[in-house]
Amino acid sequence: MSSPATDRRVVFDNVSKFYGEVLGINRVSLSVPPGITGLVGPNGSGKTTLMNLLVGLLQPTRGSVRVLGIDADHPEELFRHVGYATQYDGFPPGFTGFQFIESYLRIHGFDRTEAEALTWKSIERVGLVEAAGRKVAGYSKGMRQRIKLAQAIAHQPSVLVLDEPLNGLDPMARAEVIALFRELADGGLHVIVSSHILHEVDLISDQVVLLNGGYVVAEGAISGVRDEMEEEHPAQVLIRCNRPSLLASRVFEQDHVVEARIHEDGKGLLVRTRDADKFYLLLNQVVLDNDLTVETVMPTDSDVNAVYQYLIVGQGEKP
Amino acid sequence: MSEMVSQSTSTGTSSGNVRIAARGTTWSLRRRQVLAVVRLELRKSYFGSRGAALFLLAAMPLAIPVLMLIARAFRGVDGDTAEITTVFAGLYQYFILHFVLFLGCVLVFGNVMRREVLDRTLHYYFLTPLRRELLVAAKYATGVAVTAAVFCTSTLATFLFMYLPESGGSRFIFQGPGFGHLAAYLLVTVLGCIGYGAMFLAFGSFMRSPIVPALALFGWEFLHAFLPPLLKQVSVLHYLLALCPVPLSQGPLAILSDAPSPWLAIPGLLILSGALVAVSAWRARKMEVAYEED
Repeated sequence: MSSPATDRRVVFDNVSKFYGEVLGINRVSLSVPPGITGLVGPNGSGKTTLMNLLVGLLQPTRGSVRVLGIDADHPEELFRHVGYATQYDGFPPGFTGFQFIESYLRIHGFDRTEAEALTWKSIERVGLVEAAGRKVAGYSKGMRQRIKLAQAIAHQPSVLVLDEPLNGLDPMARAEVIALFRELADGGLHVIVSSHILHEVDLISDQVVLLNGGYVVAEGAISGVRDEMEEEHPAQVLIRCNRPSLLASRVFEQDHVVEARIHEDGKGLLVRTRDADKFYLLLNQVVLDNDLTVETVMPTDSDVNAVYQYLIVGQGEKP
Repeated sequence: MSEMVSQSTSTGTSSGNVRIAARGTTWSLRRRQVLAVVRLELRKSYFGSRGAALFLLAAMPLAIPVLMLIARAFRGVDGDTAEITTVFAGLYQYFILHFVLFLGCVLVFGNVMRREVLDRTLHYYFLTPLRRELLVAAKYATGVAVTAAVFCTSTLATFLFMYLPESGGSRFIFQGPGFGHLAAYLLVTVLGCIGYGAMFLAFGSFMRSPIVPALALFGWEFLHAFLPPLLKQVSVLHYLLALCPVPLSQGPLAILSDAPSPWLAIPGLLILSGALVAVSAWRARKMEVAYEED
């Protein structure tokens, strides 16, 4: 059932997809708000399946998918609002970059003038103006990625789905594309991005969905996901200060601190705690009481990479 | 009354929302979308190198009147129109209809959806706000328009090349029954494109490769003269041959049956084609894009 709140979200309601006997995803329930959402998981974890279900290229075996309140099997309504750059590297034969985008915009119903204007606008946004008149078949991998991105944003959708959009991009193009995602998300779009480059997902995502073996193993803002894991995987914080031994003696008195280890160079303390908030309050107190000089306070396992390691790779190992 | 729709999308930018719209009545929007599909199909499937096989196939019948002209030039005798009429009827029914048009339709319609899957481009269509049923109908209509234009031109050119060089040829066409014959052949060609097109569209929609069912259908159509009357009725050729202006003997082993009247043959073929296109459209509605399996 849709409501004004869910009508602004991308909602998966208990969705399963099986390819015959093979599991694609199982019992996925998600409610994705605007902003950048990173889909993270190893190969075969179900990222592409999830995205293809979202846009109706696949149909769920069970459950339902609604995008901004629109059922995924109503393309005539859905694709006024959704753009999707897939991983598939196919293009209509013989087309230039401009013709490729303009032709499919005409199928959206835009007249020639509108379609051409929108095509140029999207090509400019991905920095391919000079190559627009060349055949796509002659493009490099990075250029093909960018022309697919331009095609996905050309009709100015409110939900943008991007399957591994950073693959094949050089560092400069990568930075430009990430800035474009941020600009779109800041304007209120849903930008759903899958990537296996964890530090980039961490850098760009407002929230993440971690997938493994077809199941969602965690979702939400990285910090929230990490906080929920503190009982099983205590948070690690490195404090560079002038008197780490003193700090160690104070933090050891606390129940939530499970480990405090002086750094090899003697100028820092690595603390593992089950309640990071309490620890930071304590740290403030210790600094004030003892006039400690603190150089840095750095969480060492609060990023998506650590979460990924804990939940998917190491199953409990330290990152 | 037409429903007024505004196909609008919006995106935010740092400077505020930008709204764009493809507006019009439902019908005008759909008309624009269908025309866009037709344009795209023509550009990528027929006017490029992929169209070459079709045009080559359509040019094959022209070789026959050219060879006949050369032979007659050597013999130095003129053919009579009655003989040419029989030769053309045989050429049309056994070569153009049985082979050229059939193979052309396999080539075009068997690949309407299949080629998109092999090229990994089908998703671009499926990610537009266009009903998939309409997409299939538009692709089919483009195929019919192209094959009908190509094979009608081929039939017309072959017909003219056979008759016009002969002394009584132009009189036969313009003052005799020739024009009526030509019109009938062109009508059969168009109906053949519609009928075979719908059949191969359906094969291409349901089968991983349309080649096997196409070969089976080729065998069925080839043997149609020897089929019992009831089974003849499920042959496209049965209806098409009934519309041809010059009946030919099917051979001593053929099983004779009453030819259907044009009033039955034409609507019957159109209804069957419509049903097959509808089934293909339904299939497209349920179709999933999973190129990895192909």
